[in-house]
Amino acid sequence: MTHLRLLLTTAAALALGIAAALLIGSSTVLSLLNQAVIYALFALGVGLLLKQNGMVSFGHALYFGSAGYVVAILLQAKAVPAEAAVLIAVLGLTALAFVIGLVMVRVPGVAFGMLTLAVGQMAYLTASRSRGVTGGADGMSIEWPSTLFGLSVNTLTKPSGMLILAWSVLVLGSAALTLLLRSRFGSITEAVRDNEERARFIGIRTVVPRAAVYALSAAITASSGVLAALNTGFVSPETLHWSLSGVALMMVVVGGTKVLWGPALGAAVYFLAKDVLGDHAQHWMAIFGIALIVVIVYAPEGLSGLIQRLLVPRKPKPSALVSGIYGGRVRRSH
Amino acid sequence: MPDYVLQTTDVAIHYGGVKALDGVDMTLERGQIRGLIGPNGAGKSTVIDAITGRRRLTRGKVEIKGEDVSALGVVERRARGLSRSFQRTSIFGQMPVRKQVELAAFKMGAPDPGADADDVLRELDLDELADVTAADLGYGQQRRLDLALALVGQPTVLLLDEPMAGLSVQESLDLADHLKALTQRRHVSVLLVEHDMDVVFGISDVVTVFELGRVIAAGSPAEVRANPRVREAYLGSAA
Repeated sequence: MTHLRLLLTTAAALALGIAAALLIGSSTVLSLLNQAVIYALFALGVGLLLKQNGMVSFGHALYFGSAGYVVAILLQAKAVPAEAAVLIAVLGLTALAFVIGLVMVRVPGVAFGMLTLAVGQMAYLTASRSRGVTGGADGMSIEWPSTLFGLSVNTLTKPSGMLILAWSVLVLGSAALTLLLRSRFGSITEAVRDNEERARFIGIRTVVPRAAVYALSAAITASSGVLAALNTGFVSPETLHWSLSGVALMMVVVGGTKVLWGPALGAAVYFLAKDVLGDHAQHWMAIFGIALIVVIVYAPEGLSGLIQRLLVPRKPKPSALVSGIYGGRVRRSH
Repeated sequence: MPDYVLQTTDVAIHYGGVKALDGVDMTLERGQIRGLIGPNGAGKSTVIDAITGRRRLTRGKVEIKGEDVSALGVVERRARGLSRSFQRTSIFGQMPVRKQVELAAFKMGAPDPGADADDVLRELDLDELADVTAADLGYGQQRRLDLALALVGQPTVLLLDEPMAGLSVQESLDLADHLKALTQRRHVSVLLVEHDMDVVFGISDVVTVFELGRVIAAGSPAEVRANPRVREAYLGSAA
């Protein structure tokens, strides 16, 4: 995708979101869309980690819930303006994630997943039991001021306003990520993911790029946490629980990570299923679980991978076009 | 400035009581190709791992152009011009061919990584496959890509660990011819671990023979072929 095509796609996507927010009259539908978009951003963070680092996190709710708590605690203490609280939440958690990442990304495979789970659950238990600071299991309300970054909070928290805001963050965030992954940083992280040892032997220090991707994925997830806190005006320990990380991971698996928009597609499918199936079945997750198994078995690259496969036929392997294992194409010495 | 680009002095790697390498002294002169031969388990690949920093030394030292690099890691040694290929093909499977070679050139500090990558790809006849994802290449093409990743960025010393593994006799000879010309053109010194004796004796300037982690002989291909201990330990009567 060229820069111009990316620009046009981004503009079209923004226009689509704004049009949807203005044209959809039902606040129920808008609320559902808001949740889907906020969780799409959460899933984008988890998906980025899988796409660029090949790592599965069971504890990204740590950044989703913590962002809400940081904002809530700073606003309750009237320590800083709301804008600063939002920036501190996102940037502070990104910096923290980078430091944590420098240690955790050295741990391979399942052990990394278990580490993320352990750290996330530590935060969940801390929030649940620190009643004086976090409100404990009851959670805490967030005292948003009347304006945020010069915009009326009432307008932002209306379903249509929230959709425009969350959608814009998702679209612009995805565009920025697309540019970043096209850069040298994208190539380096791809190389480290594909073959860490070979990456070292071509001169790449592998820990810092991995930690940077981890921090970036935390930044995206923390942004979704701030949006969720703005949307609900409330934060509770459930936003830190591993089951929420599990839901985000399900969205990533359903949507796929081959392309950046895969996790967002997974989030849309998840909320659509929740809405449609939830009306007819109490245990709709069981049905969604079956759908998840079908996707894993028949489209292991997720729905986005399936769509790509259907739209763009795979080229024949070059090895099939030449004879012999060496291809018979080596020039004799000059 | 020393006349050698690589020197190992009393290099040893021990795993408990097992002596994978035990007191290896070896030099590599500028522009030289040194073949390393010996039976399986003799320590040939381990000496490459020791030189590149993949394995920690029990004792001894490794010098590149007179600088002791024994305490340095893989990345620092690569930055000093040490490059390698692997016994088992080691490439970036999900990346297009040119993208990964260009990345390797960039990390080696090539002034124009794109041009350097294109040169190497052309030299190894991979230029027409530049946009193909590496996992989709045939085995022989992947072997060449592994070599391209090692060769790009003007390394001083190239350590090749069985580059002919899995290739047919004719393909090995083709690659050997190509390799000799390529290393001369790119002014790179080579340590070559290879089981194909025709290749080793055909392109090496000097040959070192390993047995049980020690060097048992070294010299010109003719001297090594004639060495009775080498014939007994490795080459057999057919040599």
